[in-house]
Amino acid sequence: MSLQGIGFLFQCYLVLAAAMYFDLGEQEQKCIIEEIPEDMLVTGYFLLEPWEMNALSHSPHLGVTVTVRDPNHEVLMSKRYGKFSKFTFTSHASGQHYLCFQTNSTRFSVFAGERLKLHLDVQMGEHSIDPVPDKTKDNMKNLENSLRHLVDQMIFITRQQEYQREKEEVFRQIGDNTNSKVLWWAMVQTSVLLTVGFWQMKRLKDFFIAKKLV
Amino acid sequence: MGCEWRMMSAGLCLLTSLILTVDLTLGFGPNKDMQFTFLLSAGSTECFYQTTARSDSMEVGYQVIAGSGLDVGFALISPTGYRLVSDFRRSDGIHMVDSTEDGDYRLCFDNSFSKLSEKMVFFEVNINSESSSVGGSNEWENMAITESMGEYNMEDIRAQMDSVYQHLERSRQILAVLRALEARDRYLLEDNLWRVSFWSCLSLLVMLFVAVTQIYTLKRLFADTKRVCT
Repeated sequence: MSLQGIGFLFQCYLVLAAAMYFDLGEQEQKCIIEEIPEDMLVTGYFLLEPWEMNALSHSPHLGVTVTVRDPNHEVLMSKRYGKFSKFTFTSHASGQHYLCFQTNSTRFSVFAGERLKLHLDVQMGEHSIDPVPDKTKDNMKNLENSLRHLVDQMIFITRQQEYQREKEEVFRQIGDNTNSKVLWWAMVQTSVLLTVGFWQMKRLKDFFIAKKLV
Repeated sequence: MGCEWRMMSAGLCLLTSLILTVDLTLGFGPNKDMQFTFLLSAGSTECFYQTTARSDSMEVGYQVIAGSGLDVGFALISPTGYRLVSDFRRSDGIHMVDSTEDGDYRLCFDNSFSKLSEKMVFFEVNINSESSSVGGSNEWENMAITESMGEYNMEDIRAQMDSVYQHLERSRQILAVLRALEARDRYLLEDNLWRVSFWSCLSLLVMLFVAVTQIYTLKRLFADTKRVCT
């Protein structure tokens, strides 16, 4: 593995250690929901640690199974990783994706109540990986990298806003549907009420005439 | 001798990158922002933990997107175990911690009062590091500040780009909150549509049933007793 790769991974490790974490029991699955537009690259970094830092974990081979489901609840990706890794996937449909994490140790553990910490950081959009910032590098290179970061951010924001516009379109359609459904059902109920009223009167009249009551 | 020299410089390179990383996040800039949406099942509690350094400022916001009642209980517990915020059954909330302690803050969402409905909760945590906001981006540190390209000063360019980056980050956060609000409204509207259809259909069936029952009850009244009024 190249030096830059190692350096980058170590950067990720340090950043993740300060990221948000939640507790995960062994064999327990927890899911995160992300609203993702289509054709977007999503990168997730995670780090699995035992709850007590100095406690000896009796299942040293910790692993995480990451399952990604698309809005139709079909499995988009399901892979097994080690303690610390990153996963990427590209969404094909726009909507709510479910990222589920489940721990499994390779050894059968009798103590099923052990808690684990899962640090998680999910990033959306393509991020140009800046190489190791070298002090001897050209200032223009640094400037170029920073500008590239900004451009990535702006592209991401534009993409999100387009997606937001699509969803507002759907929202407005649902509102229109509701409105027309209310009107339609009210008309149907009124006409059924009138019809049934006339039918009742007619049947009763015929009945009373037949029974010679009127 | 050449091999050794190369390894040493590579090691130096790695060390440099490590030193820079301690202040850098994966982007550049001192702020961190985390947002998650998750499903909170009925009758359960979920806790999330966030590590902070001393005297950072932290902002926590949450919004319930789906679930009947649209409310959830929230608690924010400091690393020393002191309960800072305790919301009971609110649909949204924003809380700020001005000067954080060193350690892990606990954010707990509580749905134990609801036996049947699960809630979808969106929450975000923004951390502004006081310590590095003065220093700024370290990768520009060693640049000669007096270096200028024509009329423009490198310092100016750096300040402008930092400012643009901060604004774009803020835009992203606001977009995420708006996204959550829109999702909540959309779920509500879909529920409304389903409810309108269901109850209209039901009331129509009840009307027809009552109409037919009325006729046949009346008929049976007269048929049973066979009373004829002459």
